[in-house]
Amino acid sequence: MVKLSIAKILQIALKAGRVTRKYPSEQPLLTPEFRGAIRIDPTKCWGCGACVRVCPPNALTLTPKDKVATLEYFVGRCIFCGMCAEVCPANAITVTKEFELSSTSIEDLKSGVVHRLVRCSSCGELIWTEAELRATVKSSPISEEYITLCPKCRKLKFGKAAMLGRGGSSE
Amino acid sequence: MSNLAKALKAIRKSIWVYHLNSGSCNACDIEVLDALTPYFDVERFGVKLVGSPRHADVILLTGPITRESLPKVVRAIRAMPRPRLILALGSCGVGGGIWWDSYSTTGGFKKLEDILRENGVEIDRVVYVPGCPVRPEAIIYGILLLLGAVEQKSKRVEVYASES
Repeated sequence: MVKLSIAKILQIALKAGRVTRKYPSEQPLLTPEFRGAIRIDPTKCWGCGACVRVCPPNALTLTPKDKVATLEYFVGRCIFCGMCAEVCPANAITVTKEFELSSTSIEDLKSGVVHRLVRCSSCGELIWTEAELRATVKSSPISEEYITLCPKCRKLKFGKAAMLGRGGSSE
Repeated sequence: MSNLAKALKAIRKSIWVYHLNSGSCNACDIEVLDALTPYFDVERFGVKLVGSPRHADVILLTGPITRESLPKVVRAIRAMPRPRLILALGSCGVGGGIWWDSYSTTGGFKKLEDILRENGVEIDRVVYVPGCPVRPEAIIYGILLLLGAVEQKSKRVEVYASES
């Protein structure tokens, strides 16, 4: 090992300068590629559940309860992969640069978007969220008679209509 | 002033941490080491890494607490003197991460806390630090939050989706 003299060490130290980042008082070094916590825009979210399906650690969950379904984001389990932002059909999810997420209680790490559910006009079963219904009507031409039906009732109604069209009876 | 507040005031300028890996993938461990380098220099806050939980004020818990490591984790935490302060680091430490419902892991600190209570081990304060892996800045922020030097930013919010 080469032994350095004090003068030499001082020379190296002066050349390197101060490297320490005074973090809490100084801004942290965030690269453009850095991914932090996600933010869900409640004005854009449909509650379709595409992000829930793709989320590797199930940090996003969509739980129906009574007449509402809550899309819950638990940042404590999130691995910050950004897959949810990639698949979101409404572009409601954005990846922010937020990383100061520490908290003293686990409840503070959770956040949610509450969606109201729509009932099937025929059988009364809860089918989908209000926001998703609105988005579907906007994007694809679908008959108003069918829009509020659940898939089962829709199939039944269409079958009956087709039989009537062929000259048979609806029964 | 309560005992905990008194103890926190006493250790404010010399926090000795013990790094406890409970089956982590080593990413968080590397970030812990990163936080100890001159670049971030946690010794500004008096943070020093010690080799035994008996000397530690804070335990840096990384990993999802695997079944194999669970008894050792409980022993290490029991060996700590009061006040027992814990920093649960990373997605695995906080909520179990990708392995949250696996048979071979405990799945996050919340469940470990129940096991510790059953075993008669009390914990005075926990700070959850999410991140996968945690940034060194996030670890520093967590330590400062533990000591009450910074305000907590995370808050539970529940909003209704818009009407129109």
